[in-house]
Parts: sequence; structure tokens; C-alpha cells
Amino acid sequence: MLRYQEDKELHKDFHGTTNTSLNYIADKYGVEALKTILRKTGHDVYKSIREKLAKGDASELIEHLNWFFYREGAEFKLTVGKDEINFEVMECPAIRHLKKLGLEPSPHVCLQTTEVNAGMCEGTPWESSVEMKGPAHCVQIFKLEKKS
Amino acid sequence: MIPSDHFVRFYNEVFKFLDEKSGLEDYYREISRHQEKHCLENFKKNGLQGVYDYYKTIIKEENCECVSEFAGKHCLVLKMTKCPSLSKAMDNDAGMCQKYCLHCPGWTIPLYTKAGLYQVYDIMGLDNPQCCEWLYDEIEPARAKYCELLKTRSVDQLQTNFHEK
Repeated sequence: MLRYQEDKELHKDFHGTTNTSLNYIADKYGVEALKTILRKTGHDVYKSIREKLAKGDASELIEHLNWFFYREGAEFKLTVGKDEINFEVMECPAIRHLKKLGLEPSPHVCLQTTEVNAGMCEGTPWESSVEMKGPAHCVQIFKLEKKS
Repeated sequence: MIPSDHFVRFYNEVFKFLDEKSGLEDYYREISRHQEKHCLENFKKNGLQGVYDYYKTIIKEENCECVSEFAGKHCLVLKMTKCPSLSKAMDNDAGMCQKYCLHCPGWTIPLYTKAGLYQVYDIMGLDNPQCCEWLYDEIEPARAKYCELLKTRSVDQLQTNFHEK
């Protein structure tokens, strides 16, 4: 069950403010500072997902990926194995919306995924990675492999 | 990707980071510049009606419990009875940045100033998801509203984009 129940209207322009914030933090405080904020977001905001992952339960992570990317209108393929979850997003909804707004996607836009996912997995037996397939096309990978 | 639904909780983490570095004010100005792309031309051209139209969309898309209405020809009132943004920041395992609310006047004040509008902002408490804004296209009624509100509110609770006499 999802910790944050969101099923009302969606304000996709928030992707624009996120984009501005990524550039602002990276330019003023450095990319490492930006990674720290994003990783902390993954770790603290998604505490519920992380705590379940620590117990070997990926159910909320799977529900999270499925629901929130569905809400953003993404085309994706979710493959759940015993020790591995692959989540392929054919066109990132954030990048798609930034282009619609006429905004240049931040060079740091994909850190949202890599660092937030890493934060969710911190201290758990799960390891996250992201395989880029194209400019807005990636596979998020979660592997059950390390000792917590 | 951080889902649009969860942007607020990321924003909240940015505020915490920047507050430790005393960097919030500069960031608000950056967000204000970003918002200019969405709003400034409309606000300059259409004045209070432009603001009303903008918030009509925002109230729907952001699921605000907010009443937006004109009080005469020169005043638009935005009364937020349940702010979805602060509500999400509060409903958050990461905990709320105590200054979360301040981003709203932080980015709107420079924007309204550039649009030639006058704003009186009653924050109504940093942990209370309610606030009220009075927007004017003339300065004298804005001053009068500010003076009226000061009779029942502390100076700290009110923000404006004009210097009071």
C-alpha cells in the first residue's frame, strides 16, 4: 500500500520548477550538494518504501513506479522477477513536459531518478542502477543482491 | 523522475538545505524568475483578471481548497482554506521545513511588483495550511487593507510588496 495516496488532479508544470531547482542547486552549490538533497529525498520522503525494501518487500516500490508513472501518462514496461525489478520508461514524462513548456531539460535531470532510487535503497539489500537507452528513455533497475 | 505529485516533498528538502545556508531568499527570486515565464505577460496585460484566470487553473490542477473572488473592480481576494502544498509538506515522513510557507510570498512578491500589482499577504501561521491574499491594481486601497489588517494581526504575519507610509 502506498504511503502517499495521490489520485486527484495533476499539476505537471511542477516539472518546470524541479528543473529550475536542479540547475540552481548544481550551479550555486555543486552537483554533489544536489545529489545529497535528492538522495535524502529518496531516503527520508520514501521511508516507507525503504523500510519495506529492508525487509525484502518490494511491493510498495512496485506500486509506486506503476501508479505514479501511469498518472504522468508514461509508456513503460515493468518486469518483476524474484531478485530483480526492471522498469523501462520509453519517454520520460518529466522531459516530455519540459519540452512542452519550451524549457531545456537540465543536464542533471536524470539525477532525480538515480539519486532518489539510491536513497530508497540505502541500508537495504537492494541496489539500484539506471541504464540509459536514449535521451529520455531508460531502464530503472533494482537488484536484490547486497547485504543490508 | 520525481512525480509531479511528490514535487512538494522534494521542494521541502531543497528549502531545508538552503535554510541551513541562509540561501532561501535568493532561491525564491530564482523561482520567481522561472514563474515569470508562465505568468508575467498575462499579469501585465490583463491585470487582476489575468491573476484570476491563472489561479483558476492552479486551483484545479493543484487541488486547492481556495476561493478566488473580486471585491470590487480593483481588488482580487485569494482565500486559501486548505493549501495542498503545505498539507503535503506536513504529511511527509521527512518532516516539514518550518519555513515552508514563506516560499509563496517569496516568489509572488517580485512577480506582482513587476506586473504593477499590489499585494497584501496574510500568512495565518507557518504550520497552518491557510492564508489570504488581497491583490490590487491601485496602491491606496492596498495600503488601507494593510492598515486595517494590522489592527488584528502582527506585522510578522503580513507581507506586502509596497513600502507602507
